[in-house]
Amino acid sequence: MKMSRTGLALIAAAYIAVPLLLGSNNYVMSLVVAAMIIGGIALAWALLGNLGGMVSFGHSAFFGVGAYVSALLTMKAGVPVLAAMLLGGAGAVLASLVMLPVLRLKGPYFALAILAYAHIFKIIATEWSSVTGGSAGLASVPRFPELMGFDFSGKIGSYLIILTVLLAFVAAYRAIRASHYGIALRAMHDSEDATRVVGVNSTLLKAVMLFVSAFMTGVVGAFNVHYINFLEPDYAFSGLWVTLPIVAAIFGGYRTIVGPLAGAVTVYLVDQLVFKNLIPSGHQLILGALLVAMIIFSPGGLIPLLRKGFGRKHAAA
Amino acid sequence: MLDLILQALYSGVLQGGSYALIALGLALVFGTMKVINLAHGEFVLLAAYMAHTVEAKLGLSPVLAIPVALVLVCLCAVVVYFLISLIRKDRELNSLILTYGVGIILTNAVLLIWSADVRSTSSAWMQDAFVVGPFYSMRSELLFFAVSIVLMGALWWWLSRSWYGRAVRAVSSNRDAAKLMGINPRATEIVSFVVAGILAAFAGVAIFSYGVIQPAFGHVLTVKAFIITVLAGIGSIPGVLVGALLLGVAEALTVTLASSALQELAGMALFLMVLFVMPNGLFGAAGRRG
Repeated sequence: MKMSRTGLALIAAAYIAVPLLLGSNNYVMSLVVAAMIIGGIALAWALLGNLGGMVSFGHSAFFGVGAYVSALLTMKAGVPVLAAMLLGGAGAVLASLVMLPVLRLKGPYFALAILAYAHIFKIIATEWSSVTGGSAGLASVPRFPELMGFDFSGKIGSYLIILTVLLAFVAAYRAIRASHYGIALRAMHDSEDATRVVGVNSTLLKAVMLFVSAFMTGVVGAFNVHYINFLEPDYAFSGLWVTLPIVAAIFGGYRTIVGPLAGAVTVYLVDQLVFKNLIPSGHQLILGALLVAMIIFSPGGLIPLLRKGFGRKHAAA
Repeated sequence: MLDLILQALYSGVLQGGSYALIALGLALVFGTMKVINLAHGEFVLLAAYMAHTVEAKLGLSPVLAIPVALVLVCLCAVVVYFLISLIRKDRELNSLILTYGVGIILTNAVLLIWSADVRSTSSAWMQDAFVVGPFYSMRSELLFFAVSIVLMGALWWWLSRSWYGRAVRAVSSNRDAAKLMGINPRATEIVSFVVAGILAAFAGVAIFSYGVIQPAFGHVLTVKAFIITVLAGIGSIPGVLVGALLLGVAEALTVTLASSALQELAGMALFLMVLFVMPNGLFGAAGRRG
């Protein structure tokens, strides 16, 4: 896999320049980290949509399950935080196993079934209070540890962790897309029936994509819980963890890898800094309008739209 | 104990009436356009809030909100139809995201206009007890159950006897063949959206008259309506009625025997069971599986 120079430069800038320039400002760093959390879910959502051809309205289920599994493992079983984060992802995969029968349903049915599932997990987290703490939630979830003399529990440390997680996701996404599974998945996008005829087990492939997407979302959820040290069902399974990533992915372009991430940073920052000041409660209204406008005018996202714009300019020149 | 269970069955059936109206709207639009309108629950919610406004601001009975709710919801339905018709490619999936966005807009508009408070009717007449033999209900529950039965009868008559109703069924079962018979599919689609809006308006006023509403409720209603259509299977009106009654009864029994917090779980359990055991629904033909 070749990595371009600009890509490497961007990564270096993200690791070194961002903490140096913005690290002293806690407010800005917390906005950046929150935007990256949304970016992680948006990437996972887009992977399922782009490679698996499935639209999900239930990613809050994976986010919440990942958060609960990781929080409980660290609090009750004493598992180290970073290991628990990965196990949180594994927990989300387990949760997605329950959704397997739904995979045989066609597009709109899948989307709604997964939405229904998200409700189930929220109810379980609220009602199973002996384990999850019920609606009161879990307080003082362990923070990120100190490693090699660096305290990862602060804003900069958390930023470095989520950055690493996101880069790992991007690498995994690229690897899947470049592998022969990626080719089969792209063929499935054109015609699932034809792909089945040539011997591709499409249901299995879709299931694997669901697992990957669930794992990513679960890890992000687990990261978030150790970052904010608190968890309650309404927050963990909030519809916000679905709405924002979808808007971000559609805005940036869900068929690309950079699109969802760039979309998340743009949408989240604009939402927090502009929309929230305009309409304190109900500012999601604008996000909804944005989503509708994107689907009508440029369902491929803003990046292809920009490219088209540049292309025209070049042609004119 | 038996009394309690019988009472739960009775309440569940009454509740099922409104559920059926909501689910029928969802199924009708899916039939003609192959589009699931994720903002459908929000249509119902909008009607419910209109009933609240008419009662709180004008001091009138929520029933009188029906004409206003009809106009508003049908207008919304037509707008959503036009938005969907603007989608150029991959309509099946893009329409989901689009209507999801419309749902967000409507939920937050409701939040902005009416705030996040939980609302319910204060009309004494509506809340008065109505006792039939051993069964107890509010007057409003029985009234709107009757209304929904009448509406379903009218819908059945419309679909089987009137020209447009038959056109809707024709487009649902075979779009191309319907075109060859001189049916304009676009007109049929608008009609199905408007009829769905009419049903949603009645259901919304009903839900406000005997229950509580809040902005996030629209989403819950969409999920319920979807569960009912899965229970029913596609293209079966009696199926939707039975599915709605089943869901209403399952929820009422859960509240009586377990706890009200588990109410939603009952619907989900029913939904999963049907998916595992009878993937085509209780009454449906094949066609949902990929």
